[in-house]
Amino acid sequence: MPYYRCIIPKDALSFEQRQDIARAFTDIHCDSTGAPRSFVSVAFFETSDGEQPEFGSEYYLDGGNRAGRSEEVKQQLLADLTNAFSDIAGVPAEQIPGRIRENPASWTMEGGFVLPEPGQEGPEWYAEVAAAAAD
Amino acid sequence: MITFNCTIQEGIIPGDLRPALASELARISTGILGGDPNDVSVQWIEVPHGFGFRGGELSTTSAVRGEIPPGCDQETRVRLMQTIQDRWMELTGCTTAELVVSARDRREN
Repeated sequence: MPYYRCIIPKDALSFEQRQDIARAFTDIHCDSTGAPRSFVSVAFFETSDGEQPEFGSEYYLDGGNRAGRSEEVKQQLLADLTNAFSDIAGVPAEQIPGRIRENPASWTMEGGFVLPEPGQEGPEWYAEVAAAAAD
Repeated sequence: MITFNCTIQEGIIPGDLRPALASELARISTGILGGDPNDVSVQWIEVPHGFGFRGGELSTTSAVRGEIPPGCDQETRVRLMQTIQDRWMELTGCTTAELVVSARDRREN
């Protein structure tokens, strides 16, 4: 479910930087929420030359998560993601706006299971997810 | 109006398979929710190789994100997602671990 879309200028980041950011985002998200690592998706979309940036900014972090976490947790998560991106990309954090949108967990099926609400995962769910990932 | 945004990784879903997948998304969604298959919109977003990651590693995951009329009960929503998942796996050969399906309520403007 967690899906982080990074809007970047064309040729702004090397493969290594993109992968480092994806790994940092995975670490941050999982440390913050306890989600399985395999659930965290990160994708980079380059703005074409001369194209008006989708969000009016050269860089933008557009996250989508399960609903149900406190505003404090969400804001801290976005701040940590922004700082990690800034460190790896060498772009000032002030130039990286972003947002985290939320939808009910029950609207998504992943790994063959309807997602539980945050905090309702339980050991059985983690075991099922691990077993599905190993298939 | 039902819409689907399908985010796929470059090289994972052959281009000539996409019309069949789009047709099945339209057939399945209108079969369960009602409506005309011709009114279903399917958009494809291809993530270039090296630009998509899952768990910090290169991703092979496809995400089928549906937007459906609000008010759908959960049992119907789950049946829709499950049917799409089963048919997508059948047509593409992907595993459950390589597919995310969602069906969110369309936000009324």
